Amino acid sequence: MQQITLKGRAIVEGRCKAQALVSTQPISFLGGVDPTSGKIVEKNHDLHGECIKDKVLCFPHGHGSTVGSYVLYSLAKKNIAPKAIVNQTADPVVVVGAIIADIPMIDQIDINQIRTDDVVEVDAYAGVIKILTKRES
Amino acid sequence: MYLTKEEERIYDGEHGWANQTCMKILVRLGELFNATKLIPIESAHISGVSYKTLGDAPVEFLETLADADGKVRIRATLNPQSFDPEYLGKRLPEHIREKQLNILRQFKKMGFTQSLTCTPYYLEKPKQNSHLAWAESSAVVYANSVLGAWTNREGGPSALAAAIIGKTPDYGVHKAEDRKPNILVDMETPFQNETEFGALGIYLGKILGDKIPIIQGLKDASEGELKQLGAALATTGMVNMFYHDIRPERGRIEKISVEAEDIKQTIEKLSTTSKTKPDLVFVGCPHCSLDEIRQIAKLTDGKKVQAGTGFWVCTSRHVKKRAGDYVRQIESSGGHVLTDMCTIVSWTETLGIKAMLTNSAKTAYYAPTLNKTETFFAPLKQCLKEVLEG
Repeated sequence: MQQITLKGRAIVEGRCKAQALVSTQPISFLGGVDPTSGKIVEKNHDLHGECIKDKVLCFPHGHGSTVGSYVLYSLAKKNIAPKAIVNQTADPVVVVGAIIADIPMIDQIDINQIRTDDVVEVDAYAGVIKILTKRES
Repeated sequence: MYLTKEEERIYDGEHGWANQTCMKILVRLGELFNATKLIPIESAHISGVSYKTLGDAPVEFLETLADADGKVRIRATLNPQSFDPEYLGKRLPEHIREKQLNILRQFKKMGFTQSLTCTPYYLEKPKQNSHLAWAESSAVVYANSVLGAWTNREGGPSALAAAIIGKTPDYGVHKAEDRKPNILVDMETPFQNETEFGALGIYLGKILGDKIPIIQGLKDASEGELKQLGAALATTGMVNMFYHDIRPERGRIEKISVEAEDIKQTIEKLSTTSKTKPDLVFVGCPHCSLDEIRQIAKLTDGKKVQAGTGFWVCTSRHVKKRAGDYVRQIESSGGHVLTDMCTIVSWTETLGIKAMLTNSAKTAYYAPTLNKTETFFAPLKQCLKEVLEG
């Protein structure tokens, strides 16, 4: 398989390799994510019931409550945060959350190229994502 | 990003850890969004005050800042907490109350005004064209769109950092060129009540992302209706502002039209059940204005709230104080005018509330997950008809 490399903008520095969890819908961390389990609880969300812990969480952008930044911080302190956040457009609420929670983050990525369960390598120093293993489809 | 000598000293830690941490947050944000400098702000407004939504970890962050002598440099107000001291406060377990009170102590230590409202503009209206750093998303949209002040939709921690530094990075809607509308929304039919404005916001927020719309057909909308629209837009979108009173300049602009059916469907989806009887009717998201309280008082006159149903009207202490006679009227009908709190960030599950009737689209959107309740979404008049007898 040819390796796919996506170039975006580094927001919070860091590096990781993990499975991707990809949504086509925006996420509000307050109300949308259960802060005790890390599961997506927003009704009718395409990731409803999925756990974001240790994933490379890819979604278009944030929405809603500005308390979302603190929810990201709480998730990180409880070790149930995503390993990295990948967005199409960075929402300041998510950015500030990722900064204080120290979660590697990249934006300006075409997330349609990434599928849930793909193994991806995130280099949030250079703002680059490599899709290492494509999910069998 | 250019920093003044003084800002550099703060960045380097000469004014202590709290100031340095806050400055670093602002500079980082500014650099990401291509700000060239920090600009002074008239006020900051902070979200993340309720213990229910914050949880324990962020409280440690607040305690560390307060212990390190973090002090606000400008007028800085607070969003609602998780209960009112009089009515709910007395029905909640001691450990919950203590945790919440500890949060308020940390903010007090840092010099925040204990406004505890999501509508700080009813306490003190920001000046036109003044720069703010506000976090409460409904207040951000209201400030930009109705009051003509300028603020980005800050995350809770960046508004806090701005309060302590007294400045915000100069990006987004702080720049005139980035306040230009870039989409025109055409409405098929005029609206009848506030729930339709709320539903429009929920519907558009999902489509708009961070675009700035001109919404046509809102000429006769009241401030209360625009408040509902803005709160809902910010619930489902990253929207900072909308225009309701200008015409598009000549030239090409993206256009969309919203049909009556879109609004009808959105309203239907905001109710999760039509079967369960509501045990709480909640009005005041965002917090009621004096005029809205007067309207509620008028509608409750001579009537009584049915036994077994709660009726909460949420507002700020400031507005409640000015609404003396109206408050007495609502309370003599069996309602509760609650201050300092917001129902969606309060302990409704602990109090056994399972189904909520509200006229707020924002509440109807969040309550199923934040309060684990069934929701009914209906205009004020219908909400009151449901709860009142006599």
